[in-house]
Amino acid sequence: MTPESAKDLHPSLNILALYSSGDLPLMQRLRTRYHLGRCPDCEQQLFLFRSTKVELKREANAQTLTGFEAIADWGRLEPEMLGNIGVGVAAARCIDKVGKSHALLSRLALVGGLMGLFVAGWVTHIPREQTGHLAASLRRLVGIERPQVITGTVLRTTPDGIAVRAQGATLTILHPPSAVVSMSGASAVSARYVDEETGQVTITKVYGQ
Amino acid sequence: MASSSKLFGVVALLALVFPGWALADDANARWLDVEFPHDSPVLPVSSNLGLTTARVRGMSMALDLHASLVLRNTGTKAISGLTLRVEAQDLTPSGKGSVTVPSLNVMPGEVFPVRIDMELLRPFTAGKTEGAIVQVSLDCALFNDLSYYGPDKLNSRRALTVYELEARRDRKYLAALLQSGRLAQLREELNFGLQDFTPQQLGLELLRDARTVPAREQPVSVGAVSFPSSPVQPMGGAARVSGNEVRAPQIEVKNTSQKTVRSIEMGWIVRDERGRDFVAGSVPAVLQLAPVQTGTMTESGTLRFSHPTGQPMMIGALLAFVNDVEFWDGKLWIPTRIDIDEATADPVLRRALATSPEQQRLADIYRRKGINGLAQELKKVN
Repeated sequence: MTPESAKDLHPSLNILALYSSGDLPLMQRLRTRYHLGRCPDCEQQLFLFRSTKVELKREANAQTLTGFEAIADWGRLEPEMLGNIGVGVAAARCIDKVGKSHALLSRLALVGGLMGLFVAGWVTHIPREQTGHLAASLRRLVGIERPQVITGTVLRTTPDGIAVRAQGATLTILHPPSAVVSMSGASAVSARYVDEETGQVTITKVYGQ
Repeated sequence: MASSSKLFGVVALLALVFPGWALADDANARWLDVEFPHDSPVLPVSSNLGLTTARVRGMSMALDLHASLVLRNTGTKAISGLTLRVEAQDLTPSGKGSVTVPSLNVMPGEVFPVRIDMELLRPFTAGKTEGAIVQVSLDCALFNDLSYYGPDKLNSRRALTVYELEARRDRKYLAALLQSGRLAQLREELNFGLQDFTPQQLGLELLRDARTVPAREQPVSVGAVSFPSSPVQPMGGAARVSGNEVRAPQIEVKNTSQKTVRSIEMGWIVRDERGRDFVAGSVPAVLQLAPVQTGTMTESGTLRFSHPTGQPMMIGALLAFVNDVEFWDGKLWIPTRIDIDEATADPVLRRALATSPEQQRLADIYRRKGINGLAQELKKVN
């Protein structure tokens, strides 16, 4: 075998590297082993590969021990990490709840303050009778109290006069704002004033029967 | 869809046209008739509808009637006061109105004006009226000798007589103050000539036949304001009060005189929740009482009180007083000025009790013409 013919038959460096790590398929591995038994150059190359691998492994082991010594026990590390994650999630949830309750309290305080201001303003500015009137209206609205049914004649005072309403029609006898209004009899309302033009005292009345 | 639009259009057109058509129909009708009996001692000289207008208000027609009548005393006696009845066919027979002019002192042959300002709101669905929409007629004329003329359908004679008796009492009282030189007291009685001083006012509503469901109604006792010389004394009473409403007030009275009483007019004072008193008015009632006899005056219906601004007036208490008493012989009793002074220590209430129509008229004269004008008026009338 000439060097050129032997070189042609020599396996490539990749094949030799794979052979050294035991990663070649069966047929290719047998062929390479057959060649190595007759070729001292390739055997030398195989030896170099194996030496380099051992050296790299030793060096890698040395570095792993120094850099990753803490994670050497992965089985212990896993529950610790899971525990830490769980603690983190729980803490996040606690912070989230605290924020929400603070916002809720702030809103409640704001609403309460506004309601207090409204109540104080109502008490100090709205007459008691109007409050009672409003309450009565609300009672009628929700049905606690039945509304009044007026079927007959109604006599009433208005800003302009005294009025009687009957049969769908209304008669109002007009008077000036200075008139004094009073009931006059069981079914009459009267207004008394001095007529500015005539100077006469005038008493108007409306009657309902 | 198209037919609905057409129907809507027709309805809208009718809604626009119908009020105008009805208004024109009412415009053709007579608005006001003034009718006096031919033998009446007072007759109309002229009547004038000044700024009278008719306009559409919703589905009703609003008639603003401003009538000015000039009447003449065609009788032989001086007229002290009169009442005109105002009736609208749309309200007949349930509702009507009246205009009373007391303290007239119109001599035979003299003329005097009477103004009637009113508004009539009638629905377009109301039937066409026969005759005038509003009729004005004489109800009662009272003469200086306290005799009267007229059908007196509104029981005006009694009211006119009370006004005249009060007028005589107050003129005599004020003339006495003037003659004795008690000008400070006179000025106080006449509100110091201030125009804006008026008794505390209230709004009220009188509901007849109101089927009311009592809501938190509570009984309230009625207090009595007594006049020392009154022939009838209030003993006390009760009413049912709910907020600003009073129902079924009643008061027990006793005839302390030696004469039989025919009728009594009870005055009512409403005290609001702040303790302010308002003279709500008076209610005459026929109640025959023999000497020393007691009786109960009861008022049906519902009274609802409010402040002039319209706010409901919560009722704190009710008081009653005897405003006047009519005896069996037709004579009337009214409280004297001393009675009024001794009845209450509250100056506001005392003023309200003492303010008669005549005092109101004299206060207006004092405001306009001063003490000399008042003196001339008192001299002329007395």
